[in-house]
Amino acid sequence: MKSSELNRVSFIVMRELRAPLMTLLIVYSIGMLVMTFIPGIEIDGEVQHLSIFHAFYFMTYTATTTGFGELPVEFSNAQRLWAIICLYVSVVAWFYALGSIIKLFQNTFFLRALAEWRFTKSVARITGPFYIICGFGDTGSVLVRGLNDAGMNAVVIDSNAERIQALSLRSYRIFVPGLCADASVPSHLLDAGVSSPYCKAVVSITNDEAVNLQISALARLLNPSVCIITMSKAHEVEDTLATLGGEIHIVDPFKTFAKVLNACINKPAFYALNNWLVGSRGASLEVYEQPPIGHWIICGYGRMGMEANHALNLNHINTAVIDPHSRRRDEEIETYIEGRACAKTLKDAGIDHAVGLLAAADDDGQNLSVLLNARRLNDDLFTIVRQNSHQNEIAFNIANANMVMQPTLVTARKILLLLIAPLLKHFFIYLLAKDAGRDQILEALITRLKQRLGHKKPFLVTVNFNRSEGLELVNCLEAGHTIFLGDIIKDSRYTDKALDLVPFVIKSGDQEIILPTDDYKIKIDDQLLFCGTVEAKQLFKANINSEYTLFYLRTGKYPAVGYFMQWYESRLRKKNGNNYD
Amino acid sequence: MDLGKVIFGFFIVLSLTLNVGFVLGEYSNPEHHSIYELFTVIVVNFIATGLKLGDRSQVGAVLLATSLVADFELIAAALHWTFAVHISDAGMNPNVMSTIVSLSGGALVANIISVVILVAETLRARL
Repeated sequence: MKSSELNRVSFIVMRELRAPLMTLLIVYSIGMLVMTFIPGIEIDGEVQHLSIFHAFYFMTYTATTTGFGELPVEFSNAQRLWAIICLYVSVVAWFYALGSIIKLFQNTFFLRALAEWRFTKSVARITGPFYIICGFGDTGSVLVRGLNDAGMNAVVIDSNAERIQALSLRSYRIFVPGLCADASVPSHLLDAGVSSPYCKAVVSITNDEAVNLQISALARLLNPSVCIITMSKAHEVEDTLATLGGEIHIVDPFKTFAKVLNACINKPAFYALNNWLVGSRGASLEVYEQPPIGHWIICGYGRMGMEANHALNLNHINTAVIDPHSRRRDEEIETYIEGRACAKTLKDAGIDHAVGLLAAADDDGQNLSVLLNARRLNDDLFTIVRQNSHQNEIAFNIANANMVMQPTLVTARKILLLLIAPLLKHFFIYLLAKDAGRDQILEALITRLKQRLGHKKPFLVTVNFNRSEGLELVNCLEAGHTIFLGDIIKDSRYTDKALDLVPFVIKSGDQEIILPTDDYKIKIDDQLLFCGTVEAKQLFKANINSEYTLFYLRTGKYPAVGYFMQWYESRLRKKNGNNYD
Repeated sequence: MDLGKVIFGFFIVLSLTLNVGFVLGEYSNPEHHSIYELFTVIVVNFIATGLKLGDRSQVGAVLLATSLVADFELIAAALHWTFAVHISDAGMNPNVMSTIVSLSGGALVANIISVVILVAETLRARL
């Protein structure tokens, strides 16, 4: 791949610069050759001729209009005549060549080939796991930022040149290569490294569902083992995608939202936890938001309105729908009012005795105005509003709704969690299960998180106990020692303090251990998901990668450092006959 | 308390303090700088280097490097002294002495770095 890009670049250079370079060559060689033949002035009775070297020197400063004069000796008149001809012809030839070079740098094909070549080179330079993000819109930029904060590599393809320009202007900790191209063309996906063993996932989140489907199918063909994540809002597409095989995740922001809404009604604590983990603005573990049970009004019955309606009906909540489109036949909705949401339709829908309002239209202006209208008519409403464009952030902040649903953000966060914390899904399923005692576990977990992390920003961290992520830990396990989870989550700077983190899940083989306790015995190739502060993350990684720290954490004793102390200690041990460790 | 840490700290700090002792005094005055002091500095430095061998941690590597620098400069100073007194006819004079003192001054800096790292490393683990 790499050489073909280079070939294309060099081919364009060759083709564009062939004629001007040939012209220069011919003009120079004729000029030089004739210059050496023409007799110069006589010095001491000897006719002076220019050598080839001097002739080349003369042509060089003449063609570039530098004009140092007559060197090394004065010219004869015959030479001067030829110099005049050389000057005019070579200067014109030079301008022609310069013009061609400038034209080459304005040639869009050349620039595109150059950009592709650079992109392929930077992708090839990535030596760790990376993700291909197709589409750098609102969702893509949130996702790339999140991956970057988690210290992961990402590669971006977007067909919009402005978005790629925007990408290059962002300040990322890890460089993110971007290519302006159509990601549904196989060669571009290959440029992005889809067939590389380091490529872990292809995320297709362009605005076009058909393109997303095409990218997913191509990615599966080009790399059967890569994980595919895509965004889709249509059922047919989901069915097609599911048949591609392999690991595939389809993120539907509205379904995700409906699930969250359902969880919010049934388990407000879970909703608060989820919001806090993904880092929503103003999220806290102190107060739980709970939508009231009663009469709800849904303004705008698109995909979001429909999913939310299902979620509300599941919880036996009455709803009234206001939508400008006529009712679809196959659905049973008690109150369906046709028309735009305004004071009159809101009154018809029963705003005076309503407890909640959902503004779910795909128009931000309309959603905000519905919100204000409805509040005027009934100021005790629980309000959920849909924000479609990131640009309207400020207006929505001021509007101060109880919940803001931003589809792009929901999608980005969901995908981010899939990539950086794949075990979180099992954890959430466990917490949401209707088994007895789960509510107490959830409460206990939240108390523990509050104690450990306080007001610090939570980070979800996935650690694999393998050679590349925890070399010393693996060495120690291979030497036959037992390491407990409680050992490695201690703070090595204090004797009795643990790091500010809470282990969520350990995946060991096919088994998932939810909320593992301190006496869990670590096995090689286990995967751990924990939530902790940034500092705890660093110290944890130091714990499992330092031989001496690990020894101290395991035994509570200082290891013998250096050959002399090791020798001395082994002597001491032999003498006392006690076996240490 | 850990015996290993005591021995380790003792030799590292001793080599620094002896080094200071040798360098103190008028810069080029041979009467202010004792040959026996230089001798003990070199011996103690060698012991400190020996104790640092075999530490596989990052900090251990830097500690060993500083010790090697100090050894190197002190050996150069000792060789210069030997050369001046026994091999060339110059004998001990202020010129020779100032070179020896500046070399061991360099070793002093390396020893200071060594002690600073030792202290920092100890403070990092508030056990």
